[in-house]
Amino acid sequence: MKTIFLIATDSIRALLHQRLLLGLMLASLALTIFFSITMSSARKHITQNFSDDRMTNNPYMGTNQMSEVDRRKFRESMEGASTAIQAMFYQVASFGGSIVALFIFSTAVASEIRKGTIRLTLSKPVSRTQFLLGKYLGGVAVMAAFALLTSLAILVFAQTQSLELSPVIKWAPWLMFCRQLMLGSLAMLLSLFLHPIIASVLAFVAGNGFYSSPNPLYFILPSYKDFNVFFQVLQGSLLNVKDVAFLSLYAADFVVIMLLLALWRFRTKELV
Amino acid sequence: MSAIRIENLSKTYDIRTTPAVRRLNLEVKEGEIFGFLGPNGAGKTSTIHLLLNLIRPTGGAAWLFDRPVGETEIHRRLGYLPESINLHDYYRGRGLLNFYAALCGVPPDARPARVAELLKLLNLEDAAEKRVSKYSKGMVQRIGFAQALLHDPNLLILDEPTASLDPVGRKEFRDILLELKQRGKTVFISSHILSEVETVCDRVAILQNGELKRMGTLQELSSGRSTRFVVKGLPAPLMEALATTAVQVTLAQGQATISCPDEPLRQTVEQLLRQHGVEIVRTETETQSLEEIFFATITPPPKL
Repeated sequence: MKTIFLIATDSIRALLHQRLLLGLMLASLALTIFFSITMSSARKHITQNFSDDRMTNNPYMGTNQMSEVDRRKFRESMEGASTAIQAMFYQVASFGGSIVALFIFSTAVASEIRKGTIRLTLSKPVSRTQFLLGKYLGGVAVMAAFALLTSLAILVFAQTQSLELSPVIKWAPWLMFCRQLMLGSLAMLLSLFLHPIIASVLAFVAGNGFYSSPNPLYFILPSYKDFNVFFQVLQGSLLNVKDVAFLSLYAADFVVIMLLLALWRFRTKELV
Repeated sequence: MSAIRIENLSKTYDIRTTPAVRRLNLEVKEGEIFGFLGPNGAGKTSTIHLLLNLIRPTGGAAWLFDRPVGETEIHRRLGYLPESINLHDYYRGRGLLNFYAALCGVPPDARPARVAELLKLLNLEDAAEKRVSKYSKGMVQRIGFAQALLHDPNLLILDEPTASLDPVGRKEFRDILLELKQRGKTVFISSHILSEVETVCDRVAILQNGELKRMGTLQELSSGRSTRFVVKGLPAPLMEALATTAVQVTLAQGQATISCPDEPLRQTVEQLLRQHGVEIVRTETETQSLEEIFFATITPPPKL
């Protein structure tokens, strides 16, 4: 276990020194902020339009003098805009996170083989299983930090924009994290057979909701659909603890299967 | 117990190409420095990768200290320095050695002293806090050697260890090897620098096209060596007898020197001298250099 943690720590250190990864993370955050500001402007625009309509129809009546019907309409528009902003925020953050996850996990082992550093590490009393699990764990730690950052960002953003958080949002960071770990485990497995870029593309495309629960393939092949809170926020669906627990188990089951397959492949892989 | 044992080891990367290693058999005893020689593409690095379990053999097997090479635990007794070494360059020198020491299982309280000792031994004290990415080739080679020595292993596998070192570095490296030998460590060294191997190795193996061509001590391999007998005076019948052979006789200051170009002639002359009761003042044996042995062993590549 100690060896796995050592490899994981080294992996985190290596990731934090990768300019491309840091660039991707920053770009992802910047993109999220850009979309959020754009959506926030749209919200202000809706508010303005609504007020203008009221003023045009009755210049003597301000928004605080609206009728009950108008107030309800106004509240609904505001809620709709707020929900759309939050959904968009997580959609962009999730996409950025997925790109970061694909980068981290598809290159974790492949880059060590390409550079030849793996030869030195495996000449020490480190088994291939320890090495692979350590690399995965390192990636998990970085993705956890990224999910935490994103969650903090939405809290700060919601606070500054006086947004009321959608009920689904409290589960969103966790589901996003689970989705990225699933993506990552598949990308890592595929990178042991294919070039990391091809592995990343395949991992991303493979599980975008082609299978649903009654189909047995749902339990073997990935399905990221339910982990995407974008539609759930828009539809106003309510996720309960049971749903989240089931999704978490699904993700854990998927990750374990992918890691077992990766270990099977890695044990016999030629490392030069 | 042998430190390395290889039996019928073969490796083919692609069935359409020549095997990298062909039915290789060799044994390295504990405590010896073993030179592993051969031209480029001979299969030296492939053999080392097989010993480290980085690649899988297509035939045969190998053992380190009588344990199969696939066992991870055996790596506690092994130190390895690869050819064209690549290190985790985001570390500083000391940090890198600390990381490898932790992987090798060096206890945390013993790590700082061990790391400091090796930084001093390899003249890297001044570069200890420098980022490895800023190291020169020679410094990378030195810190690579340091990481191989961290846990004081019983067996060192070194692939072209002095390729990037200057003459001073090479001398220091040789001294460290000899010191390790005195401490009973086994060293398996693959190198192109024959003069270096000659000065430190107890035995050598010469490989070409994945096949073992010759193996033994320098004296054993130097089979075509010439012998000179220096004797006091030569009786006429002996002179006549020697004249019928291919030996060369020179007379100077009341002494005769009889040069025998090969082993059968040496035996004939020794017998004749005994028969005629001639006193042998001294015998001089001329051993071939490793370079001569090497070039006599390998088939030269076809000229372009």
